[in-house]
Amino acid sequence: MRISLRSLLRHETVLGVLSVIALAVLARQSDRFFTTDNILNQGRLVSELGLVALTMTFVIVTGGIDLSVGSILGLVAILIGVFWKAGLPLPLAVILAVGLGGVAGLVNGLIITRFRVPPLIATLATLALYRGLAEGISQSRSVRGYPEYFYVLGQGEVGGMPTQLWLLLAGMVVAAVILGRTTFGRATYAVGANETAARFSGVAVDRTKLLIYTASGLVAGLSGAILVSRVTTTRSDMGMGLELDAITAVVLGGTSIFGGRGTVAGTVLGLVLIQALRNGLALAGVKGDGTIVVIGLVLILAILVTNIFGRDGDG
Amino acid sequence: MDTLVATGGVARRPSRLSRIVDAYGQELVVSAAVLVLMAVAGAVNRRFLSQTNLTSLFSGNAYVAVAAIGMSMVIISGNIDVSVGSLIGVLATIAGTLAVKGYPIWLAWLFPVLVGVLVDAFIGALVAYARIPAIVVTLGFLSILKGGLISATQGAWIGNLPPAFFIAQFRLFGIPSPICFATVLTVLAALWMRYSALGRAIYAVGGNSDAARAVGIRTRPMVVFIFALNGFFAGIAAILFGTQLQVIQSTVPPNLELNVITASVIGGVSILGGTGTVVGSSLAAVLFAVISSSLIFLNVSAYWLRAVLGLMILATVLADMARRRRIG
Amino acid sequence: MLRKALVLVVGSTLFALPALAAAGWTGGDDLPTNPLPCDNSSVAMAAKPYDGGVPTNPPDRKGKKITVVDVPKLIGIGYFNATSKGIADAAKELGNVSVKTDGPTKANIDEQITFIDNYITQGVDGILFAANDPVAIAPVLKKALSKGIDVVGYDANSTPDARQWFVNQAQFNGIAKSLMDNMAKEIGESGAFAIVTSTFTTPNQARWIAEMSAYAAKCHPKMKWLETVEAQEDNVLSFNAATTLINKYGSDLKGLFGMTSVATPAGAEAITQAKKCGQVAEVGLATPNAMKPYVNKGCVKSVVLWNPVDLGYAAMYVLRSVADGTLKPGATSVKAGKLGELKVVNGSEILLGPPFVYTKANINNFDF
Repeated sequence: MRISLRSLLRHETVLGVLSVIALAVLARQSDRFFTTDNILNQGRLVSELGLVALTMTFVIVTGGIDLSVGSILGLVAILIGVFWKAGLPLPLAVILAVGLGGVAGLVNGLIITRFRVPPLIATLATLALYRGLAEGISQSRSVRGYPEYFYVLGQGEVGGMPTQLWLLLAGMVVAAVILGRTTFGRATYAVGANETAARFSGVAVDRTKLLIYTASGLVAGLSGAILVSRVTTTRSDMGMGLELDAITAVVLGGTSIFGGRGTVAGTVLGLVLIQALRNGLALAGVKGDGTIVVIGLVLILAILVTNIFGRDGDG
Repeated sequence: MDTLVATGGVARRPSRLSRIVDAYGQELVVSAAVLVLMAVAGAVNRRFLSQTNLTSLFSGNAYVAVAAIGMSMVIISGNIDVSVGSLIGVLATIAGTLAVKGYPIWLAWLFPVLVGVLVDAFIGALVAYARIPAIVVTLGFLSILKGGLISATQGAWIGNLPPAFFIAQFRLFGIPSPICFATVLTVLAALWMRYSALGRAIYAVGGNSDAARAVGIRTRPMVVFIFALNGFFAGIAAILFGTQLQVIQSTVPPNLELNVITASVIGGVSILGGTGTVVGSSLAAVLFAVISSSLIFLNVSAYWLRAVLGLMILATVLADMARRRRIG
Repeated sequence: MLRKALVLVVGSTLFALPALAAAGWTGGDDLPTNPLPCDNSSVAMAAKPYDGGVPTNPPDRKGKKITVVDVPKLIGIGYFNATSKGIADAAKELGNVSVKTDGPTKANIDEQITFIDNYITQGVDGILFAANDPVAIAPVLKKALSKGIDVVGYDANSTPDARQWFVNQAQFNGIAKSLMDNMAKEIGESGAFAIVTSTFTTPNQARWIAEMSAYAAKCHPKMKWLETVEAQEDNVLSFNAATTLINKYGSDLKGLFGMTSVATPAGAEAITQAKKCGQVAEVGLATPNAMKPYVNKGCVKSVVLWNPVDLGYAAMYVLRSVADGTLKPGATSVKAGKLGELKVVNGSEILLGPPFVYTKANINNFDF
């Protein structure tokens, strides 16, 4: 079950080189790209996606996938508004709503482990179900007018850096430590590499998966709270398409979609590259449609290049 | 699925009927769901079962069933394609552009199918030879095709199309052509996959590619071929989709790939590869159309439509799991 | 356990079946409504003090060349192609504006915010926008104002303090009155109708439906609303939705509303293909070109809209006037090129004019 350090290093190197090239080119195109202001701002904007991509890394390393994170984000956002409007004090409303996001993730995990539904199908169904719950519970109404202190989460700064960026950085460290240095992390890799062998080796496969999917839902909920705080309102269509962006970042970062391989560092690099492209291309004058074409190409090329330089027999 | 870990229990030789049910279980579950829903909706509002309604219901959604044929083959072979929605948008636009510029109608119909085959064959080559996972390639192409379409057309409407172009509005022996296409293509594809060596090879590639290679199936060209087939069906679906109305919108139809994948999966195609039939996925596409329409006839609150849809998908999936559990 | 889960799922489905009785019509929002009088008397609008936002220390842009970005709800649909064209036309006429239209590829507020944010970083002089959500877009627009950028909205408003001016194509209650009156004329005072809209969370559509509901209660109380269906901004989905409604209600359905410029022609097409021209009326918002085939055949009697090209054109002129300092808070009108003097209403809104009704008599004079 030893992760091949060489093959991992190879993809990270490719990605790192790609990122450096991209950053250099983009910085040349616009002098506003590499300013502290812009970098911090981009950090603020990418935090929601970043947090979800961190847990998505765990999910994909186990060989699974979670397509419902965007819907969970939307559901939690709506619930924050509903609970608060119903009279709960705002901090309690947020905690309760985010907690329910974790419950939604737990339900995903139960469907996958208890009923043995493949993760793609299970989360495809809950993608529709959770989004539908958001639409139904909210009756398509928005809740606005939150107290000022709530906006510190999404719009404020702590020590010169955006609040949510602190959360993202903390999340990165925690995720990297868990995945790379704890028994739980090793169990995650084991489940992804060969689930049956892992089970026979005594790894608590189902419990690992349950925890991971619950975390995925919980973090999606947290991102929902950040988004609501950032835009001061709730909408039932929040987070649509988030899952594909998260999967793109994770896969770009070298995590194998078949499971068993991947690192948090890779995901972080993938995130940086995508956000840098989105921001840098816009600053350089490329319009929205051109940007998504470039990101699609980068995704394919990055994996292609890695495969060319890598030893064959992976994945 | 953990079929390696046998849980014991003596298997009694099942009766012939139960063997049929087990073999075609999911197709039967889906068909039963369709009939039950139609009966319930018809009981609440008789107009649901009227000829006009059923015809427009099946005809308007037939293109999803056609696209699901190709998607099923891709999934059975162990891959996936999330770019099919963008591809259909692009191909429909190409068809309309050719027709409005005065090219012969048959060219406006066939050229997009050819483009679909070539694009998807290229995707298949990236999957098979460059060994990039299918979800990665198709995720990339989803964006590339969509962005490309917007860049090229800005979403402009294509109007003033020649009346002979609207094949989806023709009728053959009184039956709308989309229904004819979907039925004929499903039957042909199903027979081909069951009785031809090439068709059966698709299951082999998906079930166990090492074993497939061991018996002499060249898996890599097969994957390219399967994706090319997917492009073929996507092309036909695009023509049926684009000729329903007098104008073509030059945009990517929202959520189409999710609907097509869900239809294949509900229809019994296992996401792990190796099992499932195209008949199942076409039936599931029909189920989807029936669900969407019947929920409106049943006066389900519009705000709860998607939630109910999600619950129904979940119910069908759980029912399928229960059935598979029983078989082991 | 599996069987219990199955029962739970199926049971919940059944519980969701009974329709929840809605206070207003499905698809409307719950903001206060302001129905116009039933006859054609005009309502004097009380003058409101200026309530728009103010940029912080804007540089002196009078007469100078400015760079402007236009961020509509999304790019790649006909309606915003038209507004974009109007903006570009105005920029060409003015001669000292460099403008670009850029935006998300789907009507998503989060993406739109990111776009605007990038352009703030890039350092544009002015921002034109059509918001996906009035409240959600406010923080980023206020950030633009705080950096001295001029901000003017069109088509879909933000909260007033987040932009300096908003060019309104027509008042919400004016559109509602026009639509309902036209429908009543065609299907009679006790006709039944259904609505096809984009989504229930699109602010403009939700406002229109809410106002239509209030106006109908006041002036056409015997008309019967049947239901509202969502169809995004997609042609085929709108067509399928309209066909389903026609099939569901049969001869009980006398009219269909199309709340988007995509839903109205799709609805007309559905009526045509169902061979119900003349039996089911289609009234809605649409561009003339899309409706010409149906209006000329007599299948559709009237189409309500404003001129989106003019809307973009006016917005560009307003932004230029703001940058030049010729349009200040408290003004009562503004000069907008070939459109002449446009009135200021509601404190910081600029009215394009009353909604325009296209009929067989005049539709062929227009080409957009």
